[in-house]
Amino acid sequence: MRKGIVQLVAIGVGIGVVLTLVAVLFKWLPTSASEEFDRIQDLYWFATIISIGIFSLVTAVVVYSVWKWRVPDDDDADGPPIHGHTGLEILWTAVPAVLVIAIGVFSAVVLAQNGRAGDRPLEVEALGQQFAWKFTYSDFDDVASGELVLPLGREVRFTMRAVDVIHSFWVPNFGQKMDAVPGITTEILVTPTRLGEFAVVCAELCGLGHATMRAKARVVRPAEFEAWIEERQA
Amino acid sequence: MTATHDQHGGHAAEGYPEHFEPPRGRAWTMAFGPGLVRGAWMALRVVGLGALLVVALRAWWGWSPYWDTHIVLVVGAMTAAPIGFLAGIGSFDYWLHYVSGRPTRPEDHSGHGARTWRDYFKVNTDHKVIGIQYLVTTFFFFTIGGLMAMLFRAELAQPGLQFVDSQTFNGLVSVHATLMIFLFIIPAFAGLANFAVPLMLGAPDMAFPRLNALSFWLLPIAGLMFLASFLVPGGAFASGWTAYAPLSEGQPMGQTFFNMGVQWAGASSIMTALNFLVTIITMRAPGMTFWRMPLLVWANFTTSLLVVIATPFIAGSQFFVMFDRIMHTDFFTPEGGGYVLGYQHIFWFYSHPAVYIMMLPGFGIVSEVISTMARKPIFGYRLMALSLIGILVLGFSVWAHHMFVAGMADWLRVPMMITTLLIAVPTGIKVFSWTATLWRGRIRLNTPMLFALGFVTMFVIGGLSGIYLGSVPIDIHASDTYFIVAHIHYVLFGGSVFTIFAGVYYWFPKMTGRMYDERLGKLHFWLTFVSFNATFFPMHYVGLRGMPRRVFDYAEAFGQLNFFISIASFVLGASFVIFVYNIVTSWTRGPVAESNPWRAHTLEWQVSSPPPIFNFDEIPQVVGGPYEYGVPGARHAVMSPAKEHVAEQEEVHA
Repeated sequence: MRKGIVQLVAIGVGIGVVLTLVAVLFKWLPTSASEEFDRIQDLYWFATIISIGIFSLVTAVVVYSVWKWRVPDDDDADGPPIHGHTGLEILWTAVPAVLVIAIGVFSAVVLAQNGRAGDRPLEVEALGQQFAWKFTYSDFDDVASGELVLPLGREVRFTMRAVDVIHSFWVPNFGQKMDAVPGITTEILVTPTRLGEFAVVCAELCGLGHATMRAKARVVRPAEFEAWIEERQA
Repeated sequence: MTATHDQHGGHAAEGYPEHFEPPRGRAWTMAFGPGLVRGAWMALRVVGLGALLVVALRAWWGWSPYWDTHIVLVVGAMTAAPIGFLAGIGSFDYWLHYVSGRPTRPEDHSGHGARTWRDYFKVNTDHKVIGIQYLVTTFFFFTIGGLMAMLFRAELAQPGLQFVDSQTFNGLVSVHATLMIFLFIIPAFAGLANFAVPLMLGAPDMAFPRLNALSFWLLPIAGLMFLASFLVPGGAFASGWTAYAPLSEGQPMGQTFFNMGVQWAGASSIMTALNFLVTIITMRAPGMTFWRMPLLVWANFTTSLLVVIATPFIAGSQFFVMFDRIMHTDFFTPEGGGYVLGYQHIFWFYSHPAVYIMMLPGFGIVSEVISTMARKPIFGYRLMALSLIGILVLGFSVWAHHMFVAGMADWLRVPMMITTLLIAVPTGIKVFSWTATLWRGRIRLNTPMLFALGFVTMFVIGGLSGIYLGSVPIDIHASDTYFIVAHIHYVLFGGSVFTIFAGVYYWFPKMTGRMYDERLGKLHFWLTFVSFNATFFPMHYVGLRGMPRRVFDYAEAFGQLNFFISIASFVLGASFVIFVYNIVTSWTRGPVAESNPWRAHTLEWQVSSPPPIFNFDEIPQVVGGPYEYGVPGARHAVMSPAKEHVAEQEEVHA
């Protein structure tokens, strides 16, 4: 029996190691370019560790059982009549409950942090219309642009509206997404932390041109941003 | 009169002399007797009536133009024609005779049993025949839905548009999902349960056999309606199977086919579910207490509760959209005071429980298969049944997790996240109990068992990606991406479809009296298992990296992986051909099966394969649990051993 347990653990650890390598060696998430996405990525890794553990455990038991106790199809004996085990059943009710509550609490904390606007964020209005985005900078005489330009390190509050149907504003590198819904306004916060050009993608099916409803987001140094705004105001 | 009817006519005349029908010729019967021919012409005739009604009413009110194709289609083709068809094939004959005071056909159960393959194309009240009708129909639509998937996977092999235009692409995606959900997974489970549940309960049939027949015949109507949408101007409905308003409200005519098709499919589900509930509550054999019911019965009991409570909501959501479209109401149009998110709340109040409608029967099947093939009692039977109830209750409190980025009230997010995550607890109980059932069993790794174990492992992946999506901040990033596509396919393909395959292989000998080819079955499993993972696992990656779902075009960076996914999906499609070949050849000339090839304890295996027309020659007396494997001397039920009806069946198939 002891040998069996060692073998079972070895299978579980083997599966776990392979999965960990798959999780680490491939870059599953885009490079984070916002404070909000940094926090989401921490949460993602927390969930991944738990997931690898649970999947390895279940698969190890299945693989081990089939390996150890497989019989030919014409075998006509029965297994031992084990009907249950109250202790085990309590254990596998309680442990997953604790794990998911841990994920839930962590998530709620991240959600609260990502949703708390600081003092005077940069206000940008994002307007979705089949099939393009329009960004309006209400702090600067309603300067409007089809390209999203943001200053590095400054918190931005996007206020979203839609003209015709539901669109969804998503910058994969910011890890933040929110639908733009006709009739109501919605909000999301992003604090860019990385210079560069990123894709703005529409994530909600919005009709014929949905796939091509993309825009460019450019994160620049604050001075460059001021210059860009002035150029636009002129 | 056909030969069959002559017999019954004669039989009926003996006992009920007042019931007399003048002899009719064969041609007369073909045209005017219940059947597909009468169904066709009656459907056509009421299309005309519907059109006439629309034109007459519009003319009366002075609405110009009098002829509005869209309205005529809704009233004539999508409402009246199905009723005409159902009346034509004879679904209402008994009730209409009864209501109108004409002599009803005496209750001789002449509709029971199928004598030739032609009987499967008639209204039949035998739950075993209906079960097979369901399964064949649903696999037909599964094939079409699968071909659609391969078509749009071909389109997605490269960025940019190659084969189809944008509207067609969106249409293919939408119809694929709609067929798979409403015409395959939900009704395929209903088919398996239709066959197995009355037998497992020790009942001669379902509680309402005529209602059972009617609910089956509603199904092809819904399926053809979804498919017919490709033929109207503007193409098929193209706003996804979720059909979010207001996009769905501005769509061409095809969208209305979705609005109405869902009504027919939904009505079918609700009727079947009511039938199951009444059957399970009232028709259990003596001694069959709730705590002695097989878990498949428990699973269908809880599923039926979900269906009955939730399905009216999707019906409502689609009626509202249709009213906005054709009657210019303003349920979901903000300009008229409508509330856009209202649609999503109503829609998901059905469509999240629908996920469990598509999962719980599979849990039941897997419990049967694992316990039988591992030769051990199911581990923690009562907790297994209670966890189904837990999922049922929790399942109604999580719908808004589909709306974390939809702009709904912020305060609703965290409570919905907690209930969503908590569903992992009853689900976890089930997974751990299945693995514990395997422990120290005597495991026979045949095809049903392979699919059951494939299900357990794949479903865990789907469950775990569900944890990511349940967590609001991760969902904000991953929602509406290919990560979602990966997740739902791990749940609905690695989950539901694997269990449907397990169930079909498991009950195949019972349904047909013949054995499938084990080698082909195993080949089918391994090819499906590998190509399924190759198709859907990389979708997690492209989704998290930034590829949204429901797009025909995507960033160049995802090109190679999408090409790989498309190739894998073609292999997945090809693996299904093996299944079809195996089923068709085994059904026609496979070796004759024993009555209980798996040595299972549940009641359906204690009768001949296929079972006698009224299931049990004597009513079984249930004396113990359904999975008492390895308990010396334990019995589930006391009854005389199965009479082999093999010889009789040979005749039928010859």
